Amino acid sequence: MRAMARLTWLTALCAVVSLAAVSLVAQNGSSAITGQDILAGLTNPGRWLTYSGEYNGRRHSPLTQITPANVGRLAPQWTFQAETLALNRGFEATPLAVDGILYVTGSFNYAWAIDARTGRPFWKYRRELPNNLTYGASAPVNRGFAILGDRLFMVTLDAHLLAMDSRTGGVIWDTVLADYRVGYSATLAPLVVKDKIIVGISGGEYPTRGFLDAYDPQTGNRVWRFYTVPGAGEKGSETWPNTDVLARGGGGTWMTGSYDPALNLIYWGTGNPNPDYYGSDREGDNLYTCSLVALDADTGALKWHFQFTPHDLHDWDANQVPVLADLTMGGSLRKVVMMANRNGFFYVLDRSTGKLLLAKPFGEQRWAREIGVDGRPIVLNETGEKECIPDAHGSTNFMPPSFDPGRGLFFVTARETCSAYVPMKPEFKPGTSTTGGGVRRVSGNTYGALRAIDPTTGERKWEFRYPTPTLAGVMSTASGLVFAGDSEGNFTAVDARTGKPLWHYPTGASIWGAAAMTFMLDGRQHVVIASGNTLVAFALLQP
Amino acid sequence: MPTVFLLLVLSTSTALAQAPAAKNPRAGDPNAIRAGLARFQLSCAECHGIDAKGVFGPDLTTLWAAGVSEERTFDIVRRGIQGSSMPASRMPDDEIWAVLAYLRTLAPSVPLPPPIGDAQHGEQLFWARCGSCHRVGSRGGYLGPDLSRIGSSRSRETLIRDIRNASASIVPGYRPVTLVAADGRRIRGVARNEDAFSIQVMDTRDQLRGYLKSTLREIVDEPRSLMPDFGPDQLSERDLDDIVRFLGTLGRADPGRR
Repeated sequence: MRAMARLTWLTALCAVVSLAAVSLVAQNGSSAITGQDILAGLTNPGRWLTYSGEYNGRRHSPLTQITPANVGRLAPQWTFQAETLALNRGFEATPLAVDGILYVTGSFNYAWAIDARTGRPFWKYRRELPNNLTYGASAPVNRGFAILGDRLFMVTLDAHLLAMDSRTGGVIWDTVLADYRVGYSATLAPLVVKDKIIVGISGGEYPTRGFLDAYDPQTGNRVWRFYTVPGAGEKGSETWPNTDVLARGGGGTWMTGSYDPALNLIYWGTGNPNPDYYGSDREGDNLYTCSLVALDADTGALKWHFQFTPHDLHDWDANQVPVLADLTMGGSLRKVVMMANRNGFFYVLDRSTGKLLLAKPFGEQRWAREIGVDGRPIVLNETGEKECIPDAHGSTNFMPPSFDPGRGLFFVTARETCSAYVPMKPEFKPGTSTTGGGVRRVSGNTYGALRAIDPTTGERKWEFRYPTPTLAGVMSTASGLVFAGDSEGNFTAVDARTGKPLWHYPTGASIWGAAAMTFMLDGRQHVVIASGNTLVAFALLQP
Repeated sequence: MPTVFLLLVLSTSTALAQAPAAKNPRAGDPNAIRAGLARFQLSCAECHGIDAKGVFGPDLTTLWAAGVSEERTFDIVRRGIQGSSMPASRMPDDEIWAVLAYLRTLAPSVPLPPPIGDAQHGEQLFWARCGSCHRVGSRGGYLGPDLSRIGSSRSRETLIRDIRNASASIVPGYRPVTLVAADGRRIRGVARNEDAFSIQVMDTRDQLRGYLKSTLREIVDEPRSLMPDFGPDQLSERDLDDIVRFLGTLGRADPGRR
């Protein structure tokens, strides 16, 4: 008995000592994330600190342990299964990696801290959601955390922003973004920019008015708000017929944007005007919907905008991740922002001014002949009645693309579909969906493809096809690999130079909206993909 | 034959007894007809055709002439037809009524001719000519679609088209393929599923087989259905009428469909 008691006492002492050691490390700040850490992007191989990995939105890792030569030996290490089930939608988040721990959000506002070695959770968070969600009920997804210090930031389906303790998942503060009962929801991964949390909103299928917000990470107080649909009398309001329409103009900001620290500009895509398909009561260009906006990071002031699809009638949101790079175009080095847009065109803009440098189709095009020098599409076929046009998911959607600066290639998931649009006048009631009609599938050639684009010319370098259109995102690595996926559930690595598939793993569920991330742990490069309600981690088989 | 007819009459009256008593509250309303057209194009046209004359689902322009009530049609739209590809709808009531108001405008003014063909003889012909590939109930082959409920989801016109010109519309899940193996062997069948790296088929011996694309020399998408076209030289007009009459009796949930 005495020996046993001593042993227990010793064990307890050891536990206390090891706990003390852990808290000492935390106090030393080794795992408390600073603005400098985020600015450093993926230079720390054990970390992935923002949705796209880096402020430039490239989702391109400098890691090189997994190569085209050895990727055939990539093997699953663990599978994490979420106990939450979203119909047809599962994980869409990119986990954040901090020194062996993954922080990830799931559908219905579940969230976890997971041991990156084993897939075992440290803690789980689940939000009590109201039973009268609006847009949040139709898309109960979440795309990930942001992190700063030892706090995680997450948005919710009832349109709140939460700050959580990364050690426990406990909520520190809870701020309302908007009234969910009108139609608002929030699904994106917030973006930490300096001392602010940048947050966008979902709900453009309801009579809502989009905005982009900045919050104080300490208090949860709002610092600034930029409305994507101007107020009465404000610049841009002349592109709407009246103030009633402005108040429910749509223009969601539901995907994470990018940031240029040198220019101190935030780049963010905006969504469809409301109603989605019925435009007769919102004549005009409907600024700043279906646009890219460049905002001053400190004040939220609009520096410039570029509208991809004026007066959109197809739900062709411009909520794609803006990708920043410095490219030689026309003989001079240009600071650019790139977007493969849902409307089927790949755009390169000067990111200081918003000037159009290039716009070329990356999908099969029957909607518009070309993009004019003024940046406006020369539309041939608006509704698809004459000849079918891409469906409402567009030629690509929110699934992230990637950009390999070494090889000068932009990788994007393209969707080839065939649809016609049927507008119907909706009834405008707060909390009631107002898509204003819908989309009719027309028989025709439909498929998906991973495409590599030379952004200086818009030329397609290669493609790898899938039998059906897919919404899986892309990640590339400096070793010359592109990780992509498909609706049939394959997680695939292709050669960045040729598009040739080198390895694949059938995950068993559609990879939908998610893109891979990668990090080093114990000297081994790990790659994680979200698929259905699982996360699967891969690493090379030990030699 | 008379038995079938009686059954139809009986089930018609049962259906009427259960249906809501109200008439279409939006009948003839031009706004409803316009909205109904849009809703039809969105929710119904993929199966019933943009002209409502039927593709995978039946011709809806002959509903009224066949004596189907609006209440019964409303009920079918609301609840769907179990075991068929007709789903239950979550449209609000007034939208369903608007669709029916629109369908009214497509109705032919003359009553339909009485059904023709000998179902009993049609059944014999079916088992002689079609049953090696198609199933009805627990009998028949597996290569082609199961026809146990075909009478509830195809009009007479669609059935005739599908028999005379089998490749005109191929049902999803029955895409004809020829797989060329590495040794040149050719495997014919229908693709049950496919991804970027593999294909799952039912071969012409009714066997389910999976193949890695990397082991195949080629996958040929066949333009023609595995089902032959039964032209007039293969199947007389009279025999065709008999088979179609037999098929029309299968799985009929809606007595008005023919």
